[in-house]
Amino acid sequence: MQLDFQARELSIKLIYYGPALSGKTTNLQAIHKLLAPERRSRLMTLETRDDRTLFFDLLPINLNTRCGIQVRIKLFTVPGQVIHVSTRRLVLQGADGVAFIADSQMSEARSNQESFMDLRRNLQENGFDCAKMPIVIQYNKRDLPNIRGEEEIRKMQVKGLEPIYLATATRGVGVTETFLGLVSAAWNKLEQDHRLTDRFSIEAKDIIDDLVARFGIQPMRVGTR
Amino acid sequence: MAEGNVKRIELMLSEVTKLEELIDRSSLSEVCRSFFDLFGLSIRVYAKSGALLTDVHEERSVCRYLNQTPRGRAACVHTVAEIQKINPSDKTLVHRCFTGAIYHVVPIWYSDRQLGRIILGPFLPAEISEMPESLLELIPEDAREQVGNALAEMPRVREATLVRIAAHFRNILDLILFAGHRSQLMSDMHLASVRESYKELAERNASLQEAYDRLKELDQLKSDFLATVSHELRTPLTSIIGYSEMLVSGIGGDLNEQQRGFASTIHSKGELLLALITNLLDLNKLEHEKISLNLRTVDPQAIVAEIVETILPDAAKKGIRVEPDCPDGLHYLNADPVRLKQILINLAGNAVKFTPDNGVVRISASSVTLSPNESSFDGIGVAVMAATERAIEFAIRDTGIGIARDDLENIFDAFFQVDSGSTREYSGIGLGLSIAKKLAEAHGGAIRVESEPNVGSTFYLLLPERPPQTV
Repeated sequence: MQLDFQARELSIKLIYYGPALSGKTTNLQAIHKLLAPERRSRLMTLETRDDRTLFFDLLPINLNTRCGIQVRIKLFTVPGQVIHVSTRRLVLQGADGVAFIADSQMSEARSNQESFMDLRRNLQENGFDCAKMPIVIQYNKRDLPNIRGEEEIRKMQVKGLEPIYLATATRGVGVTETFLGLVSAAWNKLEQDHRLTDRFSIEAKDIIDDLVARFGIQPMRVGTR
Repeated sequence: MAEGNVKRIELMLSEVTKLEELIDRSSLSEVCRSFFDLFGLSIRVYAKSGALLTDVHEERSVCRYLNQTPRGRAACVHTVAEIQKINPSDKTLVHRCFTGAIYHVVPIWYSDRQLGRIILGPFLPAEISEMPESLLELIPEDAREQVGNALAEMPRVREATLVRIAAHFRNILDLILFAGHRSQLMSDMHLASVRESYKELAERNASLQEAYDRLKELDQLKSDFLATVSHELRTPLTSIIGYSEMLVSGIGGDLNEQQRGFASTIHSKGELLLALITNLLDLNKLEHEKISLNLRTVDPQAIVAEIVETILPDAAKKGIRVEPDCPDGLHYLNADPVRLKQILINLAGNAVKFTPDNGVVRISASSVTLSPNESSFDGIGVAVMAATERAIEFAIRDTGIGIARDDLENIFDAFFQVDSGSTREYSGIGLGLSIAKKLAEAHGGAIRVESEPNVGSTFYLLLPERPPQTV
């Protein structure tokens, strides 16, 4: 988080992490598409080769709060391919929350695990305490065959700490839920660390309501705890 | 953590806060000029700080006329000052000039942040048909027609059209800003990536350096240990050799045949052990480049003859024929004769050792010329690379057991033995060739080998006429 008192701006950095081709960029594209066109920023994609993310994608979403502070949410994706480990580490710097986009296909379970281990390593190397980083998990590609069953995912969620969302990002299904879940988780942590409500009178509800209005939908979390 | 914090801020700062940082002024001027050419509208772009980034305009006839009169000039200055003060926050503001002309002041926003403003105008709204009172009162009656004509030259645009034109220009500007922002982020990322790679490399270099230092330290310890132990072994060994020699020669009294045999064995094995220890010390010195060459003029022919003479007794025992082959008139070498003989005796001794009974060992010397990078010679730079230095190549060819292809590259390593079977059949600890190679290198020369199992081997010793440091 960055706070610029002079400009009255609060910047929040949220990262979409996950294995290669799990749908991180697709999530951002879907969010971009769902936002009201007149007030949305451009989705910026940095260096792609063969439609693969090399550096990151960036989608800024700016909210003007009642107290006059502008909240600038920046959504980043990381390149999923294994070789881009140092880029992922760089993009992860200063993150306020992470949405881990997992591929639901059974065959991708190992890739999900390796990517999550990579996330933990990179968080540690950036000086974060993994246990305190707000993380939400999205099981994407629910429309494909041979995927992990919903029942199985619900069982995993009972054992795990992170909220889990089911999505088909190519159709925009579950994308806003994941995003709003991530914003809530990140905001709660920032509130805990920086007492934003006391200091600036910005409340989580304001932020979420504003975002919901931007999407023009009612949030509906799937399978969260 | 402190370093991490710095980087974190660096990456987060990639936001556009100043128009002038993203826009190239001359390129912006070009865009505005083409805009002016297309629509005939004057255009000025200001940064939020107030800095004028570009100004493309043409003085209108009516303005020129008014500026010539004191009242007109004062009114113009006032209008310009008023327009410059206008800083619209979220929507276009319209300023009407006393001439009836209009200015549109359009805010420049990027990523929900105001970065500056565009001033479009003056232009005459298409809807106006008469000169306004504010203009009429500034000009004398007889000039009305002239001013009216001048005013008619001002571009006329419908206000609604101008709003569309302004939106179009703002879109172009937005695209330029987006491209600039993208490049800025990319450059930030490139820089951060280079820093990250540098950090990773530096860490790896540090751990490699640490491992290297540790190995060097261990190597030094090993060498010191070897030097001390060898020296300590040599002292009692000298006594063993000396006293056993005295016993054999009868200085201590007569010995019977068996006793003399025992004493001879002690003496000869003592000599072997001394040679081995000397070799170890030599190798140690060579590895640390502590050996000094006692350079003399050496006749290769005489050296070959001497080597043949030295190995002849051992060769004779196995019925091996030794053939010297040295043409007359070979040039002399500048070398350490003792070390040169040590190399050649080692090579020739090996040839005899590994050649079965009744074989042949041939020792030759010939003159060659040295050419740098001879192996990669491709004809490029012949004038510079042509051979200039003479050398002598000694070759020791045998009809021995030969060396397997896989072992060829290792045989010059210290303590390397071709195989355990060979070690048992042929004595030695595998130091001779290693020492010979290092001694050859100390002379600026080289040793190489060609071999075919069960046919024989040829060892080549190539020595330049003079060691490089003496040239």
